[in-house]
Amino acid sequence: MNSQTRYHMRTIRTIIRCLSVLCAALAVFVSTAAAQVPEKPAVPRAVNDFAGIFSVPDAEYMNRVLVSFADSTSNRIVVVTVNDLGGMEPAMFAYEIGEQWGVGSSKFDNGVVVLVKPKSASSSGQVYIAVGYGLEGAIPDAIAKRIVENEMIPRFKENDYAGGVAAALNVLMRLSAGEISYKEYEDSISAGGSIAMIVFGLLFVLIILGALFGKNGPRNIGSGGSHTSSVADAIFWSSILGGGRSHGGGFSGGGGFSGGFGGGSFGGGGAGGSW
Amino acid sequence: MKRGYVVLVVIVAVVLVLFFWIKGMYNSMVRMDEGVSSAWAQVENVYQRRADLVPNLVATVKGYAEHESSTLEAVVNARAKATQMTVDPSSLSEAEIAQFTAAQDELGAAIGRLLVSVERYPDLKANQNFLELQAQLEGTENRITVERQKFNEAARSYNVTIRRFPNNIFAGMFGFEKKGYFEASEGAEQAPVVSF
Repeated sequence: MNSQTRYHMRTIRTIIRCLSVLCAALAVFVSTAAAQVPEKPAVPRAVNDFAGIFSVPDAEYMNRVLVSFADSTSNRIVVVTVNDLGGMEPAMFAYEIGEQWGVGSSKFDNGVVVLVKPKSASSSGQVYIAVGYGLEGAIPDAIAKRIVENEMIPRFKENDYAGGVAAALNVLMRLSAGEISYKEYEDSISAGGSIAMIVFGLLFVLIILGALFGKNGPRNIGSGGSHTSSVADAIFWSSILGGGRSHGGGFSGGGGFSGGFGGGSFGGGGAGGSW
Repeated sequence: MKRGYVVLVVIVAVVLVLFFWIKGMYNSMVRMDEGVSSAWAQVENVYQRRADLVPNLVATVKGYAEHESSTLEAVVNARAKATQMTVDPSSLSEAEIAQFTAAQDELGAAIGRLLVSVERYPDLKANQNFLELQAQLEGTENRITVERQKFNEAARSYNVTIRRFPNNIFAGMFGFEKKGYFEASEGAEQAPVVSF
């Protein structure tokens, strides 16, 4: 009887040992998987603050702005913050997020990923703006670099993460909507941008007037551009909508970031920096 | 008489099934082959993009760092060699890709050496044009990494398809051949690291 119990005990112990080895193996497997980029959130959100560097109202506000921007222009900008890049290059980390989450639409590849890894006691801060294939023309690498150097890093150095990201988003939204060209952004940095902005503003008014009183009229103004026949048309109308909204300040929070992860593809474009 | 009909119907059915089966197989191989070709075109694009940045880079550096003429010359020569390299996109064998990579890696290494050597010129490092070129070069290196990765994925799924039984029999018949991969070469995979 006694020996039989011992035998049982041994069997159970062996099973437990096997199980624990299995568990350890599984844990290793899971952790190597976890060293990759974060899982795509089940409920798509534009602002994914995994590092917890934004206050809740700030994150909510940015999320709302990005959602309404996405609704009006179909361009998807996603903010991701993490505390650990898992040993990956920031560029590749941001690229993998863009590619695996499928930021932007698969038709236009019009996604942007803004990745921030806050500075900690032991490691430097990293930031990267990854630009989808479809927006590489609107946001070239050199301009992404300037946004990082001019808008983000100076504010990040003062621990103003929300301010830095918001300033960058402001420029990114206007660039990707075609509201300003990167040349105008460049000029606005170097020369205060006064003349260029005035000329551009006048042109803009003329275009709007022309569109309103022209033959075609304001087609599809309510549809946010997603049903317009040509891409240029869509971008044009959405830039008006987007511009009007962002200047008016009143955001109707759509809540969901529907279609935010529509299978957009990335090619490694963009730029980053560290501080 | 009745029996003859049945046999005929069965034969026709078998022939039809075989036809659609082979058609599907063949068409999926063609589709994947095209996928590999277009991934390769993207790879060549991004390498060309880097090569296109070189003249501008050389011109910018020349104005500031006249003592680096040998380094500059190495970059120009490596670029000439790399742009002469052409690969037949219909074959894309292991050896051809290795040869292509070797020439491109040489250019990458030459650019890397140039970027290290300009560390000694603070005026150049503050030059806006140079800073922009540098951002573009970094972005291009990232693009190269990405497109090589995407090519390898496309080539892998193509290779798996044509080598799987029974596809391998028909792949051989129709002349679908195994494609090569980009091997991660030591150090050359890394983008030239420039820290200020």
